This record gives sequence, C-alpha cells and structure tokens, in this order.
Amino acid sequence: MAILGIDVGGTYTDAVLLDGARLVTAKVPTETEQEESVLAAAAAVGAADVERFSHGTTIATNALLERKGARTAFVATDGFEHLLHLRRQTRAHLYRLCAEHPEPLVPLERCYGVRERMGPDGVLVPLAIDSLPAFEAEAVAVCTLFSFRDPSHERAIAEQLRRVLPAAHVVASHEIAPEFREYERASTTAADAYLGPLCARYFRALASRSEAAGLPEPLVMRSSGGVITAGEAADHPAHVLVSGPAAGVVGAALVGRTAGEGNAIAFDMGGTSTDVCLITDGAAERTSERSVGGFPIRLPMIDIHTVGAGGGSIVWRDAGGAVRVGPESAGAVPGPACYGRGGTRPTVTDANLLLDRLPPTLPGGLELDREAAERALGDLDPADVVEIVNAEMLRALRVVTVERGHDPADFALVAFGGAGPLHACALAEELGIETVLVPGAAGVLSALGLVASDERRDSVTAYVCPLEEAGELPAAGEADLRYRGQSFELTVPLGPDLAERFHRAHEERYGSADRVRVVELVAVRTADVRPGPAIVLPSAEPIRLAGPVAHELDGATCWIPPGWVGVRDGTTIRLTRL
Amino acid sequence: MKIQHQVLGAQLRAVAEEMGAALVRSAFSANIKERRDCSTALFDERGRMIVQAEHIPVHLGAMPEAVAAVLAREPRHGDVYVVNDPFTGGTHLPDITLVSRVPCGVACSRAHHADVGGMEPASLPAESTDIYQEGLVLPPVRLDEEVMTVVLANMRNPDERRGDLNAQLAAHRLAERRLTELVERRGSALVAEAMDELYRYSERVVRAAVARLPDGRYEAVDSLEPVAGALEIRVAVTIAGDEVTIDFAGTSPQHEGNLNCPLAVTRSACYFVVRCLTEPDLPSSGGAYEPVHVRAPLGSLVNAAPPAAVVAGNTETSSRIVDAVFSAFGQAVPVPAQGQGTMNNVTFGNRRFTYYETIAGGQGACPDRPGPSAVHVAMSNTLNTPVEALELSYPLRVERYELRTGSGGNGVHHGGDGVVRELRVLEDCRVSLLTERRRHAPAGTAGGGDGAAGRNLLNEGELPAKVTTALRAGDVLRIETPGGGGHGEAG
Repeated sequence: MAILGIDVGGTYTDAVLLDGARLVTAKVPTETEQEESVLAAAAAVGAADVERFSHGTTIATNALLERKGARTAFVATDGFEHLLHLRRQTRAHLYRLCAEHPEPLVPLERCYGVRERMGPDGVLVPLAIDSLPAFEAEAVAVCTLFSFRDPSHERAIAEQLRRVLPAAHVVASHEIAPEFREYERASTTAADAYLGPLCARYFRALASRSEAAGLPEPLVMRSSGGVITAGEAADHPAHVLVSGPAAGVVGAALVGRTAGEGNAIAFDMGGTSTDVCLITDGAAERTSERSVGGFPIRLPMIDIHTVGAGGGSIVWRDAGGAVRVGPESAGAVPGPACYGRGGTRPTVTDANLLLDRLPPTLPGGLELDREAAERALGDLDPADVVEIVNAEMLRALRVVTVERGHDPADFALVAFGGAGPLHACALAEELGIETVLVPGAAGVLSALGLVASDERRDSVTAYVCPLEEAGELPAAGEADLRYRGQSFELTVPLGPDLAERFHRAHEERYGSADRVRVVELVAVRTADVRPGPAIVLPSAEPIRLAGPVAHELDGATCWIPPGWVGVRDGTTIRLTRL
Repeated sequence: MKIQHQVLGAQLRAVAEEMGAALVRSAFSANIKERRDCSTALFDERGRMIVQAEHIPVHLGAMPEAVAAVLAREPRHGDVYVVNDPFTGGTHLPDITLVSRVPCGVACSRAHHADVGGMEPASLPAESTDIYQEGLVLPPVRLDEEVMTVVLANMRNPDERRGDLNAQLAAHRLAERRLTELVERRGSALVAEAMDELYRYSERVVRAAVARLPDGRYEAVDSLEPVAGALEIRVAVTIAGDEVTIDFAGTSPQHEGNLNCPLAVTRSACYFVVRCLTEPDLPSSGGAYEPVHVRAPLGSLVNAAPPAAVVAGNTETSSRIVDAVFSAFGQAVPVPAQGQGTMNNVTFGNRRFTYYETIAGGQGACPDRPGPSAVHVAMSNTLNTPVEALELSYPLRVERYELRTGSGGNGVHHGGDGVVRELRVLEDCRVSLLTERRRHAPAGTAGGGDGAAGRNLLNEGELPAKVTTALRAGDVLRIETPGGGGHGEAG
C-alpha cells in the first residue's frame, strides 16, 4: 500500500509517492482549477493502491489575496458593527499618508449590529434577537464582545442566522477563535466565513475527483502542521491559510529527525520568498497569530517567518547607490534572464549562474544563457548580489533564533526549495552552524511532509485570570502566560510549576523576571494528535562531495563552497565544515 | 555603498528593531505595550543617529537632542542615563528617554509612560501653565538605584513605572550584547565606517530628492485652539538647490497654556513633512535631515523656553506644524489635504488607576487617492486599546466605537471619516481632554471640501477642546473625531 502527498504551489504542484521502499516524485504545472493539478500530479507519480492521501493547498490563500470569496455579512454587538473597518487605528505606512490597508472582507453596508452586550463579568444588556436585521448573504461572520467569556449571545445569534439563511455559511467567533481582543477575533471569523463556500466547493470537487481516480478521500494540511479531513477543512478554511509552508516544515523536521538532528532550522528559499522556522526536539515552533494578506488570523499555526526575497527576486540599485534585492520577482514568467524566456532584469539566480554555482543545464533540460545573465547584471558584481540576499536571509534566520533566545550554533540548517541549498553553507558559516542537511527531495519537500504528517486537531480555551485561580489544567499542551498588566503573552508548555516555567521563559526572552508579580493565564492550547504513518526513507548510494562543487538534486541545486564537504546519508546530504 | 557597509547596516537596523520589540513586549503601560508609543535607535560615537526603529514619527528628530544632552555629561561605558526634560533633549515629560554607551556608539530608547507625576493622573493635564505642574522633570542623570527611588516616589503607579523602566533597560542590555558581538566579528573600525556610510547614504538620497523640488520661498499660516486667546503658526519654507530651510519667524510667542513646543518637537514635525514629500521608504537615519534647516525664534510657541508647559505641544501643536508646513510646500508640489490634525488625547484617572488613549480620525485625501478613514494622521501612529483589553483592566466601559460616516470632506478624492467613541466611567474619576480641530475644521485642498470638525460631549453636553473635569460613576464621554479634507472639486 502506498502513501501519497500532493502540495499545490503557486507555479508547480509537487507529488511524492512512498510505496514501500520506493520514493517517486513529480512536478507538474499548477492549473487554474487546483483539483486538475492534483489529479495530474497523482498520475505523474503513478499513484495506485494508495491507502493515505494528504494534500497541501493554496486555495484559501489565493481566494483571500485575489478577493474571490463569498458575499459575506458581519454581525456584531450594536455600536461595534464597524469593527472590521476600524482595525487597530494605525495607518498602513508611516510616511505614505494615503497608503491603504487591504479593503475589509465585508463592506460597510453589510455590517450589522444586534442589541446585546456582554461584559467581562457577564451580561450587561440581554440579547434582543429581533433587533437582528433581515439581509441576504452567502456567508455570515458573527463576533460579539466578550464571547470568549460567555458565548451564549453569539451562539443564539448564529442559530437564528442558520434558521433564516439555511444556505449561508455562518461562523461565530467563539467557534473558530475563542480568544480575547475583538478585532483579531473578528478578522479571523470574517476570513473563515468569507472562504467557507468556495473552499467547500473545492474540497467536494476534489473528493469526488479523487474517488473517481481510485484515491482515498484526501486529508488536508492545516497551518498548524497536521492534517484533518476534507470535510473539517471545508468547515473552517481559515485553518488552511498556511497549508503548504506548514507541510514544508513538517518535511524538514522529518529530514532532521532521520539524520539525528532534532534541533533544526527549516530554510525554504523559493523563487519569490523564503520561509524559515525553528524546530526544537523534532517539533516545529508554534504561534497563535499571523497576518495573511494584511488580515490578522488568530489561530494556532506553525511559526513560519517569511521574507520577500528568493532566487527569482529582481536586483536593483537605488537612488543612493545601494544594491537591493526584491520584493519584485521575475516569477515563473519571464523568470530569470538566464532562463532565456524574455527576462531582461537581473535576478539572484543570474548571479548564482555567473558565480558557477549552477550547472549549464537544469534538470528537465533547460539550458541556461550565461550571456543573458551577464547583460542583465551589467556592472553589478554577482558576488555582491549574493552577499546582499544572504544578508536578508541571515536577518530572517536570526529572527527565529537569536531574537528568541536560541543560539543558532545549536541547530542544523535544513535547506530546501529551489534556491535554499545554493545559499545554505554561506549562511551556516555566518551563524556558526556546523551542519547543513540537504534532502534529496529538496525540490518537493512539502509533499514529503504531507506523506509523513500527523493528524492534528487544535483547540484553545480562553482564561484571562490569575494563574492561581485557573483551577486544574490539562496535562499536555501549552499555556499563554503574562505578568498581570502586560499585553503580550509567552507560550510555555503545560506541566508542573507553570509559574516558574513562565518566569524562566521571561528571563530568557527579556532578561528579567519578577517573581512577586501576579502571573496571568490568558489561554490554554491543546491538540489531539494521531501520529502519521511511520516513514522509512529509502537509502541511496553513499557519495562524498568536497567543495567547491555544484551538485544536482531533484528540482534544486546544492552549492558546496570551498572548505565544506558533503556526505550522502540515506537520501540526505549532510554538509559539514572541514 | 560598499556591500560590507550595507550588510552591516542591515545588522544595525536589526538591532534597533529588536530593541523596540523587546521593549513593547515586556512593557506594562498600555501606551507602550498596546499603542507602541516608543522608539529605539543606535547612534555613533559622535552622537549622530545612524538607525532608528520608530513607531511614531514624533520621535524622529527628538532623539538626537537627548543623546547630545547625555553625551555632554560624558557617560562611562555601562552607565545608563535617564532624561525627560523637554528643555534638554526631551519632548514632553511622559516620554522618558534612556541613553547608554555601547561598543562603537550609543543606544537610545524613548517610551511614553502612563504617569510621571504632576497635577493630574496620567500627566497630561489640559490646563497646565508651567512645566512643574506636568510632572517630575528629569535632566540627564545617571539612572542608579538611588535615582530610581526618587523617580518612583514621584509617580502615581510606581510598580508599573518600574516594570516599564525595566523593559527599557532590557532593550539597552540587548543593544550592548548585540553590538559587542558585532564588534567582535567585524572589528570596531569597520562598524564605525559602516555607521558613517549609512549616515551619508541617507543624506545623499534626501539631497537628491530635495534638489528635484522647485526652488522658491513658500509661506503659510495656521491656527490652534488654546483655552484662551488665539495662537498662530507662521512658516516660510525656502527650497534652494538640495537644501530646505523652514523658518517660523512671526509665530506667536509661547503662551500661558501647554501648547508650547520645545525645538526638538518642531524639528520632528518638519522632518516628517520632508520625509513624506521626498523618500517615504528610506530607512530612518539622521543623515536624512542634514539638508533640512529649522529656524524658530527662542521664546516662541515652536521653540519654548523654560518653564513653559509643553504637554500638548508634542501631540497637538506638532500636528498643526505639520499642517502649516504641508500648506507651504503645497505651493510648490502636490500635497495631501489636511487630516484630523489632532491626536484626541483622553486621560482618565483617580488614586487607583490612570488610563490614556488617543483616538484616530480621518486622513486628508491625496492628489491621487482618497484619505483613509479611522487612522492616526501625521505625528502619531499608535494602536487602539482593544475594548476587551480595556474593560478587563480599567473601570471603564466602551458604549460605542464606530466610524463617523460622512465626516470626511467631499472632493474628486474624499477625505477619510473620523471615529465616534463613547466611554462610560464606572468609578468617580477625573478626565482630561487635549484635542484640536474643534473650531477650525481640517481644510480641503484644490477645491476639495473641508472635513467635519471634531466634538467632545459629556452626557450629551458640549465640552471645550481642552478641559479637565471631575466625572461621576455612570457619566458618558463621547468623542467625535474630525474627518479629513477632500482633494479636488467634486463634479
């Protein structure tokens, strides 16, 4: 029986099929109808006799960014119905005065108030359900004040809406993000409702196409790094907004564990952006909030830090004479100048070619045009270009390590994505990292992560009370804690002597702890995890590579600089300094 | 710029940003933690600002003065100095600045504390007439445990103050650690060289941009709404080649109220406008302001001498300076219509609590697009305090928080709408309002309509723009913030 993972990306859809000891990978172009790409990728790896099929998707992210979601209404406490339009009252850019935030997902004319008011200690104004106006909508988001404390009003409003609008997708904020801070909760709820109908259609279509192709019902990767059923994904699609990158981190964790490196940094450098994430003891770091397309999404997610630079990023010189990289990218079309597809502006890939870090011909047969790269770069020194983009990458790697109190030297760097293995050794040197791991499947690691993924269902309970008064807490999971009076929480694993764990975490992060201050419990996060299949990655011929040399991988190139040596161990190349 | 300088520049910037993040995340005052009313920066040995992580523009031009004042005291490595005196490097008293020597330079952090003593809780009195009423004045002094004891003894919530000062100290320890690492890896000569080059780089970029503006002398005038009398800001902007001189000759003398500005605040406001009109995306560095010369008569509203009260200069007069300077530039290049022109400062307090917030309003429309609604304009960009966070911590209830629809001015491009915010107090307490644009509405530009003036109401009765008064439990304060002006005559 085989296990299949398919990850749909912006340009390519990647598939990995693990059939006993046989690992088959494929890349097909991503089509407008994502389910077509999924089926094409499954066919490309010859998927048959599949017992488990996991899927990473950009369907929700694209719909949010391209504004293709449902006609959504927003219902809130009377007097607060403009919540989504007030945001947090900051302007989008300090010095571009009319720069706009993304338009809220629900226009002003579809924002409604209901007479009711919950306070921190309970009901202040009883719910007047008949004050709910009549309206039409494909989806409705409901977010009333303090519903994280007492959801009874919000629940009654949602029930009423489900009665009067039976075809609409109704989401109440306590169902998706029962946490305090009303704007972030409302924003999450609005995104979830907005994406519901479209994602439900997609997952239904995918399930029926999969069935017709003899595949099992797909499991879908959530942003939190675990898979759920397609039906669950359709119910709350805000959970799948960072599906693909999360799968990549799961893949990197698997590669690290297999190589005996439980502490690792996932470094995924693609064409237009780079994702980095810290993995400690084999588990990816988590966060409880992230901005997607300018909207705060308050949900448990793998803590991926993204920077807008990658191999395809355009290189330019600014008015002060400084070399800059990105955020503009040559993308897949026209691509870097050396691809010979009409690109004339210089990219990081062109610089790598001129530094002899790329082969003359890419796997798949694309011949690289050196002269075009030279023309595009002009008087820009390719070594300078690589140094500048590496500085951006270093910044990102420092954010997830040094700035969170970790020494990067204690971690291995797992490099993947089309450009990751080209830059990894130089970055490791700067950070004092001893070991770089480059998986054989560097070009399709998200799909590999899907194959290995656990089933995972996260839940969160809001407290916002002194830790001492919280009563009994679950044995496993995480707690968001802060000193009373602070506004930001630190997340600490649950366990005995939680207060002391928090003091220590505060000391580590901020250099001080105050053991006489009251510690407040804001929320408890737990997860129901069912482990994924036990994966044994096939092994390949051992090889030894001494830098300087460029080594071809499946969908990526690994650059081994002078002073570094690579040894293939299983399917992964372990690079170390001499 | 040499690549190694550029790479080091990115690292220095990262240090300033990391300092800011550490400060915000471990602070206790709502002003710092929720609203991010704070900035952090690194300076070179000569006291030139090299990189700044600013969250609000009013700190732009004001940090170098604090560093200069501390460097004059010849601090030793390892010392941390504290200063808030508006007449020696400060802005207004609640902004407490720490300065410390670090390898190759100086680290600086500034944060708005919830209370620094004085006649009213939260230290933003509406009716102060001299600096002593506004709180404890700290000239640049070494912050040791003795000084800390004196500081805390003069403030209403010493426990919270200590927490916030600790958060600032954590940022300074971080700067010390990071700069030590950087100097070990790169050598102090290269770090110093990179600092110099970063400074020159931003100067070059802004000079080139100023050179593209049409030469000439452009004048403008605007007025404020003091408790008594009238106040005028007069400005003449002279663009000559790659330099610009902004002269406030003719501006009203400093007054008996608290709208006075120390020169540092006036500079910040001028730098802000130049930044908006030249290189809005340039990372913050002192070099950018080399080509900008600010002149203001000593003893005037915009260069006040002690013991003037200054608490509203920082928030309100600075906004009006921005309006006036934009108007003057508007005769040379297209500029946005006027925004709400106030931060709508609201403070509540009694012996038990102090709470401060500022409220967003409408931005004026730009020549090419509408003005955003419900945002901070000009010199502030602080976040709101979430309703749920506020009600969990203070004896206050938000009764209404919504857009003030229709308050933005008409035009080809509409001005942004203001905001309506109603707060009910649940305990007897005092309230101070420091607001502007209640009588003079934000003006439209190029034929665009004016935004609606703001309103302050107590239990539906009109309050003046600036007032301190006692409230009884159950009273409701309603603030309607101004809309922004429109741009272009609507068809």
